[in-house]
Amino acid sequence: MIGTLALFTPAGQHQHALIVAILIGAVAGGTSILYAALGETISERAGVVNVGMEGSMLAGCLAAFAATVKTGNPWWGVLAGAVAGGALAAVHAWMVVYRKANQLATGLVVLFLAIGITDLYGTSYVSSAVHGFKSIKIPLLGDIPVVGPVLFDHDPLVYVSYVAVPVVWWFLFRSRWGLLIRTAGEKPESLVAYGLSPAKIRTAAVIAGGALGGIGGAQLSTAVALSWAQNMTVGRGFIAVALVIFAAWEPYKVMAGAYLFGAAITLGSQLQVHGVKVNQFLLDALPYLVTILVLVALARKRKNAAPEALGQAL
Amino acid sequence: MSTPIVTPEQPAAAPTPPPTPDDQPAGREGFDTFERPSMLARATAWRPTRRHAKGAARILLAYLAALVIFGAFVSLRHVNPLSMYHTIWSSTIANRYGFGQVLVKTAPFILAALAVTVPARAGLINIGGEGQLVIGATAAGGVGLALGTHVTGLPALLLMAIAAMAAGAVWAGLAAILKLVGNVSEAISTLLLNYIGADVLAYLVYGPWKDKSGNGQPASKPIPKSDYLPTIGVLKAHAGIIIAIVAVIAVAWAMNRTKWGFALRVVGGNPEAARRAGLAVAGLTLSAMLVGGALAGLGGMVQFTGLEGQLRPGLAATYGYLGFLASWLARHKPFQVALAALLIGIIAVAGNSLELSSHLPGGAVDVLMALVLLAVLSKKQSAVAA
Repeated sequence: MIGTLALFTPAGQHQHALIVAILIGAVAGGTSILYAALGETISERAGVVNVGMEGSMLAGCLAAFAATVKTGNPWWGVLAGAVAGGALAAVHAWMVVYRKANQLATGLVVLFLAIGITDLYGTSYVSSAVHGFKSIKIPLLGDIPVVGPVLFDHDPLVYVSYVAVPVVWWFLFRSRWGLLIRTAGEKPESLVAYGLSPAKIRTAAVIAGGALGGIGGAQLSTAVALSWAQNMTVGRGFIAVALVIFAAWEPYKVMAGAYLFGAAITLGSQLQVHGVKVNQFLLDALPYLVTILVLVALARKRKNAAPEALGQAL
Repeated sequence: MSTPIVTPEQPAAAPTPPPTPDDQPAGREGFDTFERPSMLARATAWRPTRRHAKGAARILLAYLAALVIFGAFVSLRHVNPLSMYHTIWSSTIANRYGFGQVLVKTAPFILAALAVTVPARAGLINIGGEGQLVIGATAAGGVGLALGTHVTGLPALLLMAIAAMAAGAVWAGLAAILKLVGNVSEAISTLLLNYIGADVLAYLVYGPWKDKSGNGQPASKPIPKSDYLPTIGVLKAHAGIIIAIVAVIAVAWAMNRTKWGFALRVVGGNPEAARRAGLAVAGLTLSAMLVGGALAGLGGMVQFTGLEGQLRPGLAATYGYLGFLASWLARHKPFQVALAALLIGIIAVAGNSLELSSHLPGGAVDVLMALVLLAVLSKKQSAVAA
């Protein structure tokens, strides 16, 4: 991607500044997708595809924005976002785990629920101003050239995500809970043999995943956009679902993929700022094109990594 | 992490369910009996039982719950739920003009739903009706604008329909090729192609196709009035609904009475067995997606020539997703799909009247839509009196 960029841009200092700006934007813009994709990873590791992640993000955006406007403290917004995202995921979990409804269809219905609810209660916030998260530069680390501004001069939720990725990895692959979740996604019937309920474990995983998606929404509305707009996630939740597939359901790869999409999303605005003329609509389509291309490049290899009972009812 | 919410109605010891038709690619029934008993024979052989009554009661209860929950939602916005439901009733079903509006909405929903039904028979998940519809409408618009006043009326409509179907087929075919060549899940690729399709339309109406003499809105020039679908007086709706019903019959026939439809079902049931039986699985996969895309494209053309008349961003937004849900609700059976699309059409028109009478935002009706769909999806197979 950086290579193609070089074709568009004038050489030298200017190009360097542009690339740094895009990398900064990749981290800031990719973080909301990162949270959602981490949540989707937990959910899918437990065997449940949640296309409703898009809805959890959207609900998280509005809940976080509204709570931040009301309280003035964006951390309450994060909590509200997580609760809203988790609540929507709970609807999904109940439907697919206990009512054995189709996971893809239910996910879309959950998205409609989110679109409707956010429209019903969100219109009054469209022009609201918010005192959201501000960038905090980390002392010393933030002064390293290139790496400093790219990684260590961001809003607090970005730093939280740096911690969240290894924590989710540890949780999934080193803790007892993680083992149970992965078993629910691979061989749910074997949990029954141990007197455990795969249904409860799946439900918990889906709700936890939705809560992470809600936090992703919170980052989008209270740290990046600092505004609320109807349907402002525009497919980020769907991208997160695709991302989990080609990241082979592994948190660190999810992180790398999220920043790739962050870069694709931020590319347009950065090029404009730096005076490069590229078709706006092509740039808008870029994140989706990149997703498809990466899927093509990696799908063949990744297929066997899928949890065995993914998408299957108990 | 918070403690997991324990959801109600958890069965203490879930009885092992029979193979669930929901998880199977559509149409396992009649799998080995290709010649199915006639509609009439099946209808007369049907007797209501206590199980049916219980199932029906449960479904009614689920619908009622959906209505009560939506009532609670709007109450929070200081809208009286009872008068709201009265408005919905009187503006959609109990009113000839309103019902015409329902049919106008239902026509593209049916076509978008059939776009899901056909691939589903082959075990393919097409969530891309949205993009295929938009691309279809765009192609119809392009042809309509190019023809201008040189060719109008029926020939123009036919050309627009062909262009729309071809464009929709290409859009869905992309996903089929990505699946066959790149091993990319068609569920994901069709979903992503929706956004790219919307971008293509946006590019055209903000750029090369923008009506310079218009009021500055991003929209194309309107097509001549003679290029619109004719209105059917009795129905108070345009001819799109007729096109949709013909498509339903054609799809039902092709699925249940042709070799192609049978082969699709075999592929959907077990691709490996189909391959061993000598079926061209790749070709069938491609053909199912192409036909699906063509149907969605036709839906876009119906929406464009029946109602819109000029291209604009957001044209037919969410139609594809609602079509997807209609097909899943009806378990991909063409005639039931049409009924599900009608139900969704009624709710969609209700949304318009709510916007006007109760001053609820346009998206409010999505909540009602979602709750009703959840109610329908949540019925377990055992409770279905199908």
